[in-house]
Amino acid sequence: MGQLLLSVKNVTKTFGTLNALEEFSIDIEKGAVIGLVGSNGAGKTTLLRLLCGLYRPNLGNVVFVKDGDEKNIDKFREAVGVLPESTGLYHRLTAWENIRYHSRLHGVPDSISWERTLRFSKALSMSDDLMRHTRGFSRGMRQKTALLRALAHGPEILLLDEPTAGLDVTSARLVRKLVHQLKEEGGTVIYSTHNLSEAEKVCDRIIILHNGQLRFDGSNEELLLETGTKSLEDAYVKLTSDDARIKEKEETEGWFAKRWRHLFTRKINYTATKEDE
Amino acid sequence: MSLKKRLKIIFTISNKELIDYVRDWRTLLAVVLVPLLMFPTIFFVLPIVMQSELDERQSLNLEVLIETNQNSSEFEFLTLEFSDNLLNYSIIDLNTDVEFNDTSIIMKDIKNSKISSVLRLSYDSNSSIWNYYIIYDSTQESSGEAYLRISTALSKWEDNLTSERINDAGLNEEAILNPLQPEESIQGDIATAAEQAGFVFSFIIPLFVSIWTATSGVQPSIDITAGERERGTLESLLCAPCSRLELLLGKWLAVTCIVAVSIILQLAGLVFAISFIMSGNLLQPPELSLFSILLFLLAVSVFGIMVVALEMALAMRSRSVKEAGSILGPMMLFFFLPAIFAQFINLESIELFWFAVPAVNVLLAMRELLQNEIYLIHVFIWVFSSLIYAAAASWYASRQFLREDLVESLS
Repeated sequence: MGQLLLSVKNVTKTFGTLNALEEFSIDIEKGAVIGLVGSNGAGKTTLLRLLCGLYRPNLGNVVFVKDGDEKNIDKFREAVGVLPESTGLYHRLTAWENIRYHSRLHGVPDSISWERTLRFSKALSMSDDLMRHTRGFSRGMRQKTALLRALAHGPEILLLDEPTAGLDVTSARLVRKLVHQLKEEGGTVIYSTHNLSEAEKVCDRIIILHNGQLRFDGSNEELLLETGTKSLEDAYVKLTSDDARIKEKEETEGWFAKRWRHLFTRKINYTATKEDE
Repeated sequence: MSLKKRLKIIFTISNKELIDYVRDWRTLLAVVLVPLLMFPTIFFVLPIVMQSELDERQSLNLEVLIETNQNSSEFEFLTLEFSDNLLNYSIIDLNTDVEFNDTSIIMKDIKNSKISSVLRLSYDSNSSIWNYYIIYDSTQESSGEAYLRISTALSKWEDNLTSERINDAGLNEEAILNPLQPEESIQGDIATAAEQAGFVFSFIIPLFVSIWTATSGVQPSIDITAGERERGTLESLLCAPCSRLELLLGKWLAVTCIVAVSIILQLAGLVFAISFIMSGNLLQPPELSLFSILLFLLAVSVFGIMVVALEMALAMRSRSVKEAGSILGPMMLFFFLPAIFAQFINLESIELFWFAVPAVNVLLAMRELLQNEIYLIHVFIWVFSSLIYAAAASWYASRQFLREDLVESLS
């Protein structure tokens, strides 16, 4: 067991009537690469947003452990690098300006963030594009720039939300290679994906989320052993055989706005025929 | 975190927002060129266009008809004036079968632009009075122009007739027509040119400052709040280790800078237009004390704080640029109406409560200060109430920045 870095204790997060996470608990040790696996709406993004302090839990708490002391998650934000689902780049700025902006907000001098950016951009084959405006970037280049932005200030933990989604094979491989490199350097990564084979390639611990509940937490081997299956895919299906939530997060809409919208929503009166019955 | 670090974060955010905003070429139009050129264009181009249109209209030869029961020699002066003013006239006898005030027969010809106007003229020999009226169509430019020229000619003819009759009666024409004459060589107005300028500016500047503050803040406010949310850039920004208040202050500072540049350029354009284009002697700069200038800047600043904070708060509540535009567009009325309303409030013997009414108070303060009038009780009320409103607006904005749903974007 490595040194404890982050602890999620009995966290419940609700949006209206929907429980996005239910009494969820995990510990994250330093140097681990953890795969957060689950279908759409399983609660992966909610968990990542709780870890970087964007959401507050309704119940339970998320603590950051530094030098043996538990600290509030707000103190932890300086130590987190985040790659959100939407890359979130400013298209009128160059790739380097995007990276530098976030590094400055983390209080990191430009020279240090430049040195780190240059090092990782070589690994991602991005060094020649750092001074280009991101407006014309492909999805892959945007994703790589966002990853460099997350790394430039030297985070203790990296939260990656679907880092290879929409990437071509080569770019996805470069991203996975970089995660391996970070692991070798002792970095901690939480890697959210709904692609099990990718999690198998990258992560040494897998957390399976389903309907906001923790279904599994352990290594690949433990997953196969526990489910008595021969492949990770079978194991995943077995653990998540109950229906996924159909109901999405409730829209945050006011009383008047909701009724006004309903006024213009066409209602279809469907009468079942005998064949249907 | 130390204050120095906090300030550094705030400046980093505002600096980035300004760079991001300025790199859009449309910004140059909205923030620099439009405010700078608006007044010079209005003062310079508009009069040229209007004069050219007027010259064109005045050079038109217009067909008019004179219906009269008199011989043309009786009104020769009038016909000469008609010729001088490019009115091609035809004279016909006044139809005795038609009532003098019946315009129905001639109406069709004017509507069809066959003739521009008709002068119906009759002389009453018992009273020695000419009765007349002009038939014209005010919705047709040529008919309206004919009406103006006929009226001018009639007026000159009347002056001529009056002079003739006074002289025929052996009276002093000047004493009869101008029994009261002002002494033009003596300046009766004791207000100095600078005071007069201050009085005029007190109506113009607060109006434009308030309207321009509100309008120029809308686009950047939307762009850096709802725009960021829509583009999905807000989530990564919110992950950064800066507080929501620092984020708000950084963005607020950027919008305020943009608004300030717009207002300064617009006022520079206005002063340039008045001073150089219209006439150097028309208005001189108002004489203001340093205290008045400082209070004026304070008034503009607190108004700006309130407006920008409110705009940013409402834009931040919106999930898209479109939604924010739909909210902020109508909200402009809340700034425009007080701005117009404040122009009509009499500053002399003004009730004190006006200096506590949101938006109106600052506009009235600007009006007083531009006239270099400082009443400490007024200053105290508007400064105190404005600071409360600005703080309330800022607090409301900071509340919006704490919302959890900010991370959700349409993209």
